[in-house]
Amino acid sequence: MNKHSKMMLTGNKAAAWGVRLAQVDYVPAFPITPQTEIVETLAQWFSDGTLTGKYTNMDSEHSMFMAAGAAAATGVRVFTASSSQGILHGMEALYTIAGWRVPLVMVNVSRALATPITLEPDHNDVMSTRDCGMVQLHAETCQEVLDFILIGHRIAEHPQVALPVLVNMDGFYLSFTREPVVLPEPSEVARFLPPYKSEQPVFKASQPMARASAVFGGATYSYFKIQQDLAVRQAETVFHEVSEEFAQYFGRNYGPVENFMMDDAEFVFVMSNSFATKGKAAVLELRKQGIKAGLLKLRLIRPFPTQAIADSLLGHHKVAVIDQNLSPGMGGILFPEIVTSLYSRINRPEKFLSVIGGLGGKDILKEDFFSIVEHLRSDKSEGPLFLYNDDDLKQFKKVSHIALAEKGGSES
Amino acid sequence: MIQVRFHGRGGQGIKTASQILGSAAFNSGFQAQDFPLYGAERRGAPIVAFTRISPTPILERGPISNPNLLLIGDETLLNDSQVAPLCGADESTIVFVNSTKSTEQIQKQFPFPAAPLILDLTDRCQNFLGKGHILSTALATAGARILGNIDLKDLLEAVKMELGQSLKPETLQKNLELTQDIFHSLSPCTIPEKPIKALASSPLIELKQTPVHEAAPIILAPGNMALRKTGNWRMQRPKIDYDHCNKCLICYARCPEGTIKIDEDGRPQIDYEHCKGCMICAQECPGHFIQTIRESEGAHE
Repeated sequence: MNKHSKMMLTGNKAAAWGVRLAQVDYVPAFPITPQTEIVETLAQWFSDGTLTGKYTNMDSEHSMFMAAGAAAATGVRVFTASSSQGILHGMEALYTIAGWRVPLVMVNVSRALATPITLEPDHNDVMSTRDCGMVQLHAETCQEVLDFILIGHRIAEHPQVALPVLVNMDGFYLSFTREPVVLPEPSEVARFLPPYKSEQPVFKASQPMARASAVFGGATYSYFKIQQDLAVRQAETVFHEVSEEFAQYFGRNYGPVENFMMDDAEFVFVMSNSFATKGKAAVLELRKQGIKAGLLKLRLIRPFPTQAIADSLLGHHKVAVIDQNLSPGMGGILFPEIVTSLYSRINRPEKFLSVIGGLGGKDILKEDFFSIVEHLRSDKSEGPLFLYNDDDLKQFKKVSHIALAEKGGSES
Repeated sequence: MIQVRFHGRGGQGIKTASQILGSAAFNSGFQAQDFPLYGAERRGAPIVAFTRISPTPILERGPISNPNLLLIGDETLLNDSQVAPLCGADESTIVFVNSTKSTEQIQKQFPFPAAPLILDLTDRCQNFLGKGHILSTALATAGARILGNIDLKDLLEAVKMELGQSLKPETLQKNLELTQDIFHSLSPCTIPEKPIKALASSPLIELKQTPVHEAAPIILAPGNMALRKTGNWRMQRPKIDYDHCNKCLICYARCPEGTIKIDEDGRPQIDYEHCKGCMICAQECPGHFIQTIRESEGAHE
């Protein structure tokens, strides 16, 4: 392989390459669309000797996450992947292994949650894992997926963090989408990410220890939870250190947020994951029409980079947070987090708008961004504003017409 | 508001006692609240229960740290530094202990803030119910009588409410007789008012991050259950009659806790620091050479 060779890779393949370059020792797996390609690729590489560790098919995501945590507790480098209903099925285990304070990297390929069932993405699955006590990095491109897996292992394995790191990518829009990805030189990756040597006590044969004791009375429980909070917060400092080093090795520089056309922006869209690409395109279109738009992309979701967000947003007048998730009865999940990051600051934006779009893989159009600007300009109440138009309703009615035909339903 | 704290062991009916007292207060027209506190339920393990009684709505929940009345159903708990049943009791706290000892004897042994009230409830429960370790009715009655503001008929009604569903009519009748007996054996006390302290801020601290082995629920010391002395969970103690023991070692095999060891002469030896008093050994001994004795007495043999 040439130094910095480029390949057309799907997000799933890019993830598998990240795992391969990280020389991961153990992968417990349970396939679920749209992440199956990750574990299929890894299974192939473990089976043909490209990867020398162990790959195990588990009987569910719950067992898979427990196996991942248990393996990490022995001091080996661990990777696993899930999606949607799968990660929800493993939810109990996610809280558990995060509490064990063991390092590993997992990919979540975002896919909307039932009901209704769909295969296309939104972020309710990954947002449901928001409070487990894991570090979360959200990727916009296939390149970020690969790079975040390498950076993720460094953060996870840092002695002051020692936590699972979740790398998120959108199903289909990244997972099945091919684009050029730079493959870092393995020897350089080996220097950036040397084999894992745990600095904390690990499970060894004939040396009994426990990682999951029961505690009563609240004071001990609270102590460990506060320590977990401190460790997740510490991950931001570690992220900065590791990112800087990564940039020195590989030339790509990742901050906790990315500012796009922000300098003089009057209207700011806050987004994460692959649809941020669409947001950037919309910003350029709006600028052509004389509308000073900008975009703030979130990469680090946990710990939540409040300072970086404030640094980016202070001084801008109007901010729309586009959530591709919905907490019914409340609105977007990231919206209040963004507002909280700014509430106590002087010179905070005068208008915040919560926008919900892209649910279940529904596209977000450039025209939608124009509508958001109009809303930000108007004196309408804060929302949430749902990105749902006439065409969307027509599409729904077509399906509804078929579904209700027997009952003589919806004729319009 | 009157706050009552009950101490006892799993299986002694401590939670039920708090409920009988709660219902009795409710029957007497008070606002009442009761609840128990225990971990994974285990017979013999220390448990705590609470009853709050007030003429006005009760704006409090959770454990009672500074009780007006402390009812100790099992005096062996006084030896337990983790349970520390006297914790939070001051001169204004009325303390009742189920014991055979005299006030003077027990005061010499333990640091009571004031002279405790004493009655041997176990003996009465044995007489009335044939089960000395079931203290629910007896302890609730002691509490109700000491408080002095609960009518006997309301208390008897509460015993029927709490036990009537699960007991045979004749057993319930014996509980009612036990209630009357204990009610008339004790006198009401004046419950002193607790001084009202002005609120001061809590000394909050900011925790610093510590290394993972201290920051996560990790146990590095293996086999540390030996340090967890479970011997004080016993209400009853097994005692091997070595004059007749034929070293068949069935007790050794049947002990679910592995607390019976074999000495150099091949005889079974009970580790009283860890034996939880389940008495399976006594039931299994083919020759009935293992006696069952009341723990508070056995401990001094």
